[in-house]
Amino acid sequence: MSDEFILEVKNLKKYFLAGRPALFSRTEQYVHAVDDVDLQLRRGEVIALVGESGCGKSTLALTLMGLENATEGSIFFEGRDITHLTDRERKSTRQRIQMVFQDPYESLNPTQTIEEIVTEPLVVHGLAGDHGERQAHVVRALEDAGLKPAEEYMHRFPHQLSGGQRQRVVIASALVLEPHLLLADEPVSMLDVSIRAEIINLLADLRESRGISVIFITHDLGTVGYFADRVAVMYLGRIVEIGSMREVLTDPKHPYAQALLSVIPVPNPRLRRKRMILQGETPNPIELPVGCRFHPRCPVAMNICKESDPRLLPISETHRAACLLLAK
Amino acid sequence: MAVQTAELKPSVPSSPLTGFWREFRKNRMGVVGLVMLVLIVIVAIFAPALAPYDPETSEGITSRDIYNPPSTDHWFGTDDAGKDVLSSFIYGSRVSLIVGFFAAFISIVIGGVIGIVAGYYGGRLENILMRFTDTMLVIPDLPLIVVIVALTKPSLLNIIFVIGLLGWTTTARVVRSQTLAVKSRKFVLRARAIGAGTRHIILHHILPLVLPLLVVNAILVISLAILNESTLSFLGLGDPTATSWGQMLNFAFGRGAMSAGAWWALVVPGFGIVWVVLGLTLLGHGLEQILNPRLESHHLMPGRPTVQTEAVDVTGKRSDVPVLLDVRNLSIHYVGDGQVAKAVHNVSFQLHEGELLGLVGESGCGKTTLMMALMRLLPAAGQIASGSIRFGGWDLATLKEDEMAEIRWKGISIIFQGAMNALNPVRTVGDQIAEAINKHMPGLPHGVVNARVLELLDLVGIAAEHKDHYPHQYSGGMRQRAMIAMALSCDPQVVIADEPTTALDVMIQAQILELLDDLRKKLGLAIIFVTHDLGVVAEMCDSVLVMYGGMTAEYASVDSIYNAPRHPYTQELLKAFPDLSKPEKRLTSIPGYPPKLNALPDGCRFAPRCPLAFERCVTEMPRLHELNGGHIVGCHLVEEKS
Repeated sequence: MSDEFILEVKNLKKYFLAGRPALFSRTEQYVHAVDDVDLQLRRGEVIALVGESGCGKSTLALTLMGLENATEGSIFFEGRDITHLTDRERKSTRQRIQMVFQDPYESLNPTQTIEEIVTEPLVVHGLAGDHGERQAHVVRALEDAGLKPAEEYMHRFPHQLSGGQRQRVVIASALVLEPHLLLADEPVSMLDVSIRAEIINLLADLRESRGISVIFITHDLGTVGYFADRVAVMYLGRIVEIGSMREVLTDPKHPYAQALLSVIPVPNPRLRRKRMILQGETPNPIELPVGCRFHPRCPVAMNICKESDPRLLPISETHRAACLLLAK
Repeated sequence: MAVQTAELKPSVPSSPLTGFWREFRKNRMGVVGLVMLVLIVIVAIFAPALAPYDPETSEGITSRDIYNPPSTDHWFGTDDAGKDVLSSFIYGSRVSLIVGFFAAFISIVIGGVIGIVAGYYGGRLENILMRFTDTMLVIPDLPLIVVIVALTKPSLLNIIFVIGLLGWTTTARVVRSQTLAVKSRKFVLRARAIGAGTRHIILHHILPLVLPLLVVNAILVISLAILNESTLSFLGLGDPTATSWGQMLNFAFGRGAMSAGAWWALVVPGFGIVWVVLGLTLLGHGLEQILNPRLESHHLMPGRPTVQTEAVDVTGKRSDVPVLLDVRNLSIHYVGDGQVAKAVHNVSFQLHEGELLGLVGESGCGKTTLMMALMRLLPAAGQIASGSIRFGGWDLATLKEDEMAEIRWKGISIIFQGAMNALNPVRTVGDQIAEAINKHMPGLPHGVVNARVLELLDLVGIAAEHKDHYPHQYSGGMRQRAMIAMALSCDPQVVIADEPTTALDVMIQAQILELLDDLRKKLGLAIIFVTHDLGVVAEMCDSVLVMYGGMTAEYASVDSIYNAPRHPYTQELLKAFPDLSKPEKRLTSIPGYPPKLNALPDGCRFAPRCPLAFERCVTEMPRLHELNGGHIVGCHLVEEKS
């Protein structure tokens, strides 16, 4: 394992048992939530994981966190294999990987004060023994998350804060453990557009000031610009395109990435353009389409797409996409 | 000179407990129950001081004292042994309450533990525990208690244990279902992500949220335990050494109180039981009303406030197409606790035939309130204070409710925010659309309605075979389409779409927007599109109304809004929006938060967050200015510059 990478994911699969097609059927059906994902993340790097609901991006995050058990494959974190650890063994890793959840209205316990919420991780991990030291950590985390001065907020309850402030509390409670990797699962999708920038800028600043690596999960390609170094587009449990932010946003190769990009609203009525709106919705990940998984919705599908399942093909040193058009 | 950004009020620590007490004081039933209970507890505690006689001694009692009617010596007469009924009643309250509280304590602990463990761990353990609970629940309590107590020595301690050990089943079931609900909430997942163990999660995250329910349940379990004890004593299975109300009834009943006409010997202990149980029930009901928000009631404020707002007639004329909906100087107030909150102030706009108007602003800026006023669906505390809403020759602001009912859906219909979750899960989607048609056009033959449902589904892009499917078989996007079909069911001229794509994925969002745009062209609909997303507005709207703090910030054609915005709020909103053509550009956000309705600034409502604010903005509310081409701006800067 090279030291360059903080996280290396190899052939990761996560299947959920979906039951049997009939009561006495011998075959079992599986939801292929994450199906053979490879991913490498450098120290201090921000990667955006983009896809619609059901593409497996949240399951991937939960599996990385150890909140779901991987079906196959391996996850290396800071050189250590963390794929199958017991809760006890995982505890030290947990401290280094933290997660920010989507819904700041649901992810805070309404009966705890902000101080209790941010102190909790320290208590759970038995860190920062005496009260003064603990408080200092909490104040620092809150202020780093932009809740200044921290004393203003510590004694409040979540319902007394706005959505953006709550999301900052969630981020503070992740920061208090001084993690090396932050998994942000749709951290802004529930917030007003005017507040989204604030949270994204906050995450960007944390990367600058603390050198934290970030996996930023979103369904909206529009929010990943400026902030992400690389972008990975997921469809039905697989990464279908990965490359630097510039490569994916300005020159996407996979038709799915192209479509996702084309539907992002452009805030200028003079630039209204033809959008590539895919019809239908992501098929269910139980019975996957044969051949390329995207072919039933693909506007440029060829006959061969119904038979052959493309792997990621290199376009440049950093840019790869899984489309048979590129193989020609 | 810039005004400092939104000042934060010093944090006021208000614990949920003080908030709870404030709510509780307002609940008449709960307070009455609590007072009844406290009184009887005081009586029990101070029994030796309150009782005129000692019920344990029979000194000086002769056969002439038996069943004496109420007199000055014995206020409630005497019983079969010539003892003072009042004194026995007072001492009896001790036994009833002790049995009630201790037995309930045992029940609550057992039920709570079983409920939480079953709910949290799930799987086989849950199965075993809950089947055991079900079995216990099916066995009739009272006969079992009677049998067990009859077999063991009838002492107070035995009675407490038997009642306690058999009374936990309902608690276990209630606690389990609440635990299941809490367990699935995101903060529990977050606690696991932090690395918290099971014990920590149960103690810090599950228990605090189960506790309110447990308290309500405990109150009911106490009253059941008291009733059970009384029944046991009445059947002669009570502790013979302890006088309880049940035992008083037993003695009076068994020793000829009825034939002697000594009603007091029966009525007094009976009254005690009713008093305690009633007190507990009222208290339990009161607590439940506060702790279970589903039962919460709206408090209506009678009367309409007479508030005059300065009328400024600026709507701007931008089109020669006939006007469908003409809103002028509309102000909406929320009235509650003697305060008036000016939620919407002096908003005017015009919606032309076939126009798509975007209504933009952050959460809490009055968008939804304004739309609810158009539909006349404001909550009880909300009132249209002034202004008019002209639609097809009527003024909707003053229309009577039954006339308004005619216009709703047939004239103006609405797709509510998050409406896709509002479908009834046990009825097919086709059925629910048919219901909407029948409700507004009663008497249509079944075949016509059916054909109309199919037509509507086709219109919104749902295949006919999905008509008889249930909502859970629909995806989020399809459900939203079904809601649009429902809104179109009575051929409205105006459709209000309140954040119809929030919470949907980008691709589905694009599909829904395309659909709305198609429908507008096909049916000539006028649409008011409410959103906080400026990008969506730029993609499809003709004109845009930007609202801030319940007021018009800017109202203009979509081109002016994006390419020549004049209000600082519009400018800031645009900067906050990611521009894909410049992905390297750092996003800016507007510091601070929209004003609260109960703390609106005196001057311009945007001043505390405005980067360009100057003295005048803090003291004086800006007027609406009309620029060329019907471009309306509510900002002092327009005046300064011209």
